[in-house]
Amino acid sequence: MSDFVQIAENLAAGNKPRVRELVQLALDQGESAKKILDEGLMKGMGIVGGMMEREEIMIPEVLDVAQFMSHVINEMLKPLLLEGDMNPYGKVVFATVQGDVHDIGKNLVIMMLEGAGFQVIDLGIDVPPETIVESIRENQPNMLGLSALLTTTMPMIKTTIDHVIDSGLRDQIKILVGGAPVDQEFADEVGADGYAPDASSATQLAKSLAN
Amino acid sequence: MSHKGLQGGHYRPLSCEQVESLHAAALSVLEKTGFSYEAGLDETLEMMEEFGMRVDREDSRIYFPREQLMELVSKAPKRVVLYSRDGKNDLYLEDDRVYLGTGGAAIKILDLETGEARHTTLQDLYNLGRLVDQLDNIHFFLRPCIPKDIPEALYDENVFYACLKSTAKHVMAGVNDFDGFHKMMDIASMVAGDLENLKARPFVSVIASFAISPMRLCTHSTRIMLEAVRHQIPVALSCAPMAGVSSPITMAGTLVQTHAEQLAGIAICQMIQPGAAVLYGGIPGRANLWNLGYQGGSVECGMMNAAIHQLADHIKVPNYNSSGLTDAKIPDAQAGWEKAMTTMLAAMGGSNYVHHAAGMLNCMITVAHEQFVIDDEIIGLSCKVLAGIPTDPEHLALDVIDDAARGADFIKS
Ligand code: B12
Repeated sequence: MSDFVQIAENLAAGNKPRVRELVQLALDQGESAKKILDEGLMKGMGIVGGMMEREEIMIPEVLDVAQFMSHVINEMLKPLLLEGDMNPYGKVVFATVQGDVHDIGKNLVIMMLEGAGFQVIDLGIDVPPETIVESIRENQPNMLGLSALLTTTMPMIKTTIDHVIDSGLRDQIKILVGGAPVDQEFADEVGADGYAPDASSATQLAKSLAN
Repeated sequence: MSHKGLQGGHYRPLSCEQVESLHAAALSVLEKTGFSYEAGLDETLEMMEEFGMRVDREDSRIYFPREQLMELVSKAPKRVVLYSRDGKNDLYLEDDRVYLGTGGAAIKILDLETGEARHTTLQDLYNLGRLVDQLDNIHFFLRPCIPKDIPEALYDENVFYACLKSTAKHVMAGVNDFDGFHKMMDIASMVAGDLENLKARPFVSVIASFAISPMRLCTHSTRIMLEAVRHQIPVALSCAPMAGVSSPITMAGTLVQTHAEQLAGIAICQMIQPGAAVLYGGIPGRANLWNLGYQGGSVECGMMNAAIHQLADHIKVPNYNSSGLTDAKIPDAQAGWEKAMTTMLAAMGGSNYVHHAAGMLNCMITVAHEQFVIDDEIIGLSCKVLAGIPTDPEHLALDVIDDAARGADFIKS
């Protein structure tokens, strides 16, 4: 039996050569790529998420680990994985709403979601509701993330959600909202499914809504 | 006694050679990297081409040849006067003269009764204006919070009305759109008597975040910036990169990028109206690498905000920047030292118009009444430092020493 805990812990500690060795060893021992991904690498990213929340690891290091993990997946596991294995939680379409150009927080949330195993389609900043609806139609995600940093663009969250409702797509997705001026009360008011104040809790929330 | 408009410049983090080399680096960034732009700026792009800038429409990129660029930049006035309504707090922005005041667009306030953070209201904005009007060391009133209790579409006219009604000090704010800019103009003209009076002594000015760092023109804010220029209202060209996220983690890299962004913005304004009153609005900031929050209270922010004044002074344009930011959530020890440190450095650097210097907490999200009062003290003491130590005969006090040594005392003399 392979030691998945070792993979997770070495990933979280940033011991890159050791992670590659351990993944290779597990493959040689006949472990399934999916199991290595779920119980090794993903668990490791989970540890990193916790460290980030407790401010035990800096964001550039988190990014470094996340990028390394995706290299390992692409180079060593991808050919052995089935469609769907890579993104057990599904797809998220993410955008900063129209009129708003703030994206530092959005990008951080996206990075953590990707690290946790979501596939994210990032539509960028200043995104009109029509573009968002179009992307939902085209990509069929199970989740939508909307970010707004200005009190003047918060109403655009509502407008966007209303567009989604009018297009008849509301039932097939969960909607998450966030950004500095956004709070739970606002999220309830506009009929979102969830709100989170930072990237770690956003990831927890997304996971819980995906299941 | 209020020490406003004193000469700073005692703290110069960059040597003359360093200023030259950062300026040269910024020019080459504008030539080689240039600016990207958003859709909707067609007319502005055509104008830029007429002035010799190179626009690559395929790649959505503008390149700024240094000679044409600096020719335009040299047209910006070296002195901008921002008036007060009653003439008691006019701000003569030039050289190393230092003024400090409020800033931001906070959305929360620590409630006076409960101490809890709650949403800001129009009444809060008015009350803070009254408070600042009475605090001598705060030299201007940049709207410190936004009225969350009224519809967004009514912000601009209500913000300017509340500010102008509550204080006679200079009023500055951002506007949401063209319409808001013109509503502001209507109200300010009414207060001034007519439009001509307002243009002669503008006691209001606007902020436009024309650039999205790194090196990108924001259509919406660029249009507001140019509309202000067309109407002869002074405008602060805000760009606020955060080292580590939207500019290099190094201080030098962040300064070069900020300076390049400013040179471009100033040049564009001068194309519309040579001699237009603009403030160099580079605000070098920093990201907190634990969570990417805005780390305005770091000592590097104090250093970089002093350095950016040197770069503005190098091209002879008065500058607008920041001090007094903190990520502390309440007026505590951390808030105290971060504010004192950054405000002192910005003032000693000779920054002309330092906003955010009073009232701000929690990475610009929150304000507190008591914080304005504390910061009034910090600003006063920082300006006191600028006044230096006079050594004329009266201050040398030789007679007093002599008398005391012969038996009189210092307390009575
Ligand atoms: C950096 C910044 C900018 C940069 C943006 C650069 C960029 N690429 O994003 C620039 C300089 C361009 C900018 C411009 C402006 N800004 Co600004 N800006 C900020 C600042 C200082 C930091 C934002 C930030 O990046 N924080 C760090 C990240 C990591 O945190 P975050 O964004 O909150 O994201 C976290 C959470 O909120 C959450 N989250 C975020 N999105 C989502 C989405 C979901 C689904 C979930 C679950 C969670 C989630 O997780 C994130 C990670 O932990 C804030 C102040 C602040 N404290 O928020 C002001 C602030 C937001 N800006 C403000 C203003 C006024 C402006 C301007 C209007 C200024 C002007 N006068 O022109 C322009 C508007 C431009 C526009 N149309 O959008 C005000 C807003 C006030 C208001 N009315 O609401 C603020 C609050 C500052 C202030 N008090 O003055 N700004």
